[in-house]
Amino acid sequence: MEIEVQGTDQKGAEDYALLFEHILLEMGLTNVLDKVLLLVQPADPLFVVSVRMRPTAGARPIYEVVQLDDKEGGVMLSITDETFAPRVLALLWKTFGRDRVEQLTRYEIFVAGKNRSDLWDLKIDPEEELRAQVLDAIWKLVPEGLKIRHSFNSENVMTIANTEHGFQPDWLDAAEKVHHSMEAS
Amino acid sequence: MYQVLMYDGGVYRVKELYELIEDIGGFVIQKTQIQVQIIITFAIPEEDRPIIERKTRELGGKLAEVPLAGTEIVVVGPTLGRHHMPHPICDIAENLRRYGAITVVMGLARGRGKHTAQISADEKAIIEEYDAAVFVVGNFRECVEKHKFKLWQDIQIPVVATCGPEFDSLPACDALVCGIGRKVERMRRAEEIQKLDEVAEKVQSLIEMKRKDTDDDPLYVHPAEIKDRLDSMQAIQDNLRPAPVVLHVNGVRAKLPFEQYAAAIADLEVYGRKLGEVTTISPSRMPGSILIRIKTRSQVESEDRAKQTQSATAKT
Repeated sequence: MEIEVQGTDQKGAEDYALLFEHILLEMGLTNVLDKVLLLVQPADPLFVVSVRMRPTAGARPIYEVVQLDDKEGGVMLSITDETFAPRVLALLWKTFGRDRVEQLTRYEIFVAGKNRSDLWDLKIDPEEELRAQVLDAIWKLVPEGLKIRHSFNSENVMTIANTEHGFQPDWLDAAEKVHHSMEAS
Repeated sequence: MYQVLMYDGGVYRVKELYELIEDIGGFVIQKTQIQVQIIITFAIPEEDRPIIERKTRELGGKLAEVPLAGTEIVVVGPTLGRHHMPHPICDIAENLRRYGAITVVMGLARGRGKHTAQISADEKAIIEEYDAAVFVVGNFRECVEKHKFKLWQDIQIPVVATCGPEFDSLPACDALVCGIGRKVERMRRAEEIQKLDEVAEKVQSLIEMKRKDTDDDPLYVHPAEIKDRLDSMQAIQDNLRPAPVVLHVNGVRAKLPFEQYAAAIADLEVYGRKLGEVTTISPSRMPGSILIRIKTRSQVESEDRAKQTQSATAKT
């Protein structure tokens, strides 16, 4: 992972780069990010964090991690890869609602009123969860007093600009420029 | 003059040490027992140290000097949020405890930010109850030198400021330790431990200055003697709070409700005088605590003279 710092307080920005490295290490996210750019202007104050994520393995169809069997009154799921268990359960809750989904044992889930074909097209996407974790790492990093935020999002790049009272137009331009430079690099 | 020492050893025959401390006119300040190990902080007359050293050797324990024993230090962070806690605030507090201080960690309600950072009069009053304060602020030079120093500029007790960027000096603080700033992990590397020791040494030198000031006009009684009297109260013996009586350089904090116990404390006797006559007893800003500030000898004498003059005038 590459970390680049820009801004008016080089030493402060470098300290924050080190801090971000420690946060990512602690959260086990060092392999998730490809590049980080920090733009730090304490006099304004403006604090921009831009991260480019590494491409993830992509969404996996549900039948790759669970075995689906039609039963009377519904479909039985037997989880074959336990690392996906929480995500499978969350996906089923989100798709069919909690009333239909019953977790019978640690690796067995029953979905009432559905059959195999209803579940066949479901996909498990790890990227969403990773994005949430990276966002949490960014909130840990950003100085606590900078509560006004603006974000730029694209497929692989997240840029979050933070300030204390309100953005000047040129600050957001600067943040957007950082975002585009991360997309292009 | 009393000297505060720390005994670290086993519980076997430790009662002999308690008796010896009592016999030479000393006081136990704090006892911490962990299974069969015990750490005792105590004050003894300076000239009797060799006797205690002999006894410690006999019991197979270790004796250490604790320069900050008998003090209560507050470590103040901008907030108690995850950006500042537990590191480095708790690391600093923990290291001060190793030097013998009782420490309290405090977060300000609105200490974060740059223009929005502020400290309230209540918060200042709470901080001023302690012997010294350590303020922990962040990494941006411009933010620290132009804004954050306002947090401690009106504090009337010795202040040590710690921050990330290197400064020769900062306004309104008595000592400064740079190179700390924000941390997300425990300060355990050699250079970080050195910084923690630097903070403790700065606090120690400020406390020593405060003690020297006190020596110029000595207190009427040593705080440890008041602790000794307070320890005889049933309410203190039944108190479940850790360290129910905490020593300060010029007084004592008793962790009892003011309304219920102020009169009983004022009525305690010390050297033939009521405690209420030789100390100022007031409620602490921390709920359920009483602050006892010891008057100096000259203050007590001048109050006595004023009383005598008043009664003589009343008679005539």
